[in-house]
Amino acid sequence: MKRYDLIVIGAGPAGLSAAIQGANSGMNVAVFDENAKPGGQLFKQIHKFFGSKEHQAKTRGFRIGQKLLADAEKAGVEVFLNSVVMGLYENKEIMVMQQDKVFHYKGDTILVATGARENMIPFEGWTLPGVMGAGAAQTMMNLHGVQPGSRVLMVGSGNVGLVVSYQLLQAGVQVAAIVDAAPRVGGYGVHASKLTRTGIPFYLSHTVVKAEGTDHVTGAVIAQVDEKFRPIPGTEKHFDVDTVCMAVGLSPMSQLLQMSGCETTDKGGTVPVVNSCGETTLSGIFAAGDVAGIEEASSAMITGRLAGAAAANKLGFLSDEDFVEVSAQMKNSLRQLHEGTFSPQNKGRTDLTLTDEGIALSDSLFKYGYLSDGEIGRYPGVTEKKVGIHPVIECTQNIPCNPCQDACRFGCITIGKSITNLPIVNGEAKCVGCGMCVASCSGQAIFLVDDDYGDGQATVTMPYEFLPYPEAGAKGVALGRDGKAVCEAEVVSCRVSPAMDHTALLTIKVPKEMSMKARFFSQEVTK
Amino acid sequence: MSIYMDRNDDIGAFLPKPDDNLIVCRCEEITKGEIRKAIHEGMRTMTEIRRFLRPGMGLCQGNTCGKIVKDILARELGTRPAVLEDCTARGPARPVEIEVFGNEAGK
Repeated sequence: MKRYDLIVIGAGPAGLSAAIQGANSGMNVAVFDENAKPGGQLFKQIHKFFGSKEHQAKTRGFRIGQKLLADAEKAGVEVFLNSVVMGLYENKEIMVMQQDKVFHYKGDTILVATGARENMIPFEGWTLPGVMGAGAAQTMMNLHGVQPGSRVLMVGSGNVGLVVSYQLLQAGVQVAAIVDAAPRVGGYGVHASKLTRTGIPFYLSHTVVKAEGTDHVTGAVIAQVDEKFRPIPGTEKHFDVDTVCMAVGLSPMSQLLQMSGCETTDKGGTVPVVNSCGETTLSGIFAAGDVAGIEEASSAMITGRLAGAAAANKLGFLSDEDFVEVSAQMKNSLRQLHEGTFSPQNKGRTDLTLTDEGIALSDSLFKYGYLSDGEIGRYPGVTEKKVGIHPVIECTQNIPCNPCQDACRFGCITIGKSITNLPIVNGEAKCVGCGMCVASCSGQAIFLVDDDYGDGQATVTMPYEFLPYPEAGAKGVALGRDGKAVCEAEVVSCRVSPAMDHTALLTIKVPKEMSMKARFFSQEVTK
Repeated sequence: MSIYMDRNDDIGAFLPKPDDNLIVCRCEEITKGEIRKAIHEGMRTMTEIRRFLRPGMGLCQGNTCGKIVKDILARELGTRPAVLEDCTARGPARPVEIEVFGNEAGK
């Protein structure tokens, strides 16, 4: 039976990070993954990630995946694909199906990083073709280049639902509406705003009650829910859609850990009880990433690396001194991601009213998915009536992200030490209109406004990630934050550069009084 | 976690509901009504329901329906899903053809 110092189950962000750390410490590492391609969910993530520089913020997820793979290869990690780990047994033995044979391996340490599965909720017609997980839709679009449908109803307003809805739009699929049983948008306000300004409505306190059709989805019905989440008869609304996407949460895939015999608990699904480095109650068996508790890819990479370091330390590959250093660094990095409005301790709370700075959170953003005109002025990233071009940062919730601060070389933007602080625009600093902040914002919440364009006109520069790019001179309408047409608009320019990594800077010309209202551009006349 | 195993707890009689014909386990084609009925007939744990009706024994191995069945069980028992145990996990964790399962490498 072949033996490894570290066996990693799952080649996603957590597993690969652990494997790299282990191999770089001198361990003989094998990674097993049941899929044909490594990377877990990372290669489907075409959006820019949040965080700080050390979390690889403003880098698109699939590029982070490419880097992890290259690092793993360089470190000498053995990656076995199409290798289904079917069992985790006593003495850290695993049973693996590879092609048509069953193999057994032993690890002196084992890391389980098997990730999560998508939740489903049953409703009339949910077994019809066309009802799918949001992750499945993402796989079809971003890995296989196939549109999952032509018009989608998205169920779930957490970050998965919001991000996938946006990617559906990018893939040329219409999104009819986003539905959530909760009374508040679950994900980041900036993700919601990207959708509302294109005209997509949110139906909160609503749930899907029926998918219509005989052999595939031809429509969907939603209804309002009462405080116990029961549909209220008579509130039904129909949508002509051919696809219903479910983004109603994830559950850890912890079966291997359960069969290993380690202690488990319930944290939105069965998860192993782990110490601060991811070690389970069975010595030498670790868990990291979503299988140990649902979070996201950035924290999975950190918990993975931490567990890899702990495994290396346990077997003597990493000195106590070095381990203390890596672990302090990782724990600090993780702490940064765990702060702010969407921190784990705030999960599910609906009573938050203030930002960390003491500014009232936007009610409209929670209820409708966009900031209202009346609320926008109170945030430190928003300065009105300044002479000349300047950034307007519509970042109003404490999310762990700070690339805008590094993007501006002219000192216009300050976030400070805590990466969850709201960005502050310094009205004194000279903005040159380079737009690097606009492209750096993973939440696409930064706009450049120039009220002095002449002839009573102003320009608004916005991040734009849809093809084809509008051409200079193109006429259309400017849409407000709520997605409603506010005025006629003309494209001044559409700038693309490698440094902006596919976020174009679209500049439109609008009447001066609309400079704080126009936030999207559409060439189709929408009434 | 096993406080709801007591079969003396009175959970009332099985009462039909309009959504009883909803398929819950797609692999084995088991309806919500069948699961609810089984609970009222005495299947008070996830493992018992699996042995009795086979939800979670098909191709997806309960990856889709496991959570839904647990929610139904919790509701019928008047408790929260978090206090209920999952089905016993054992290998093979993924479906495997018996021909392959018996094909030990090196033998």
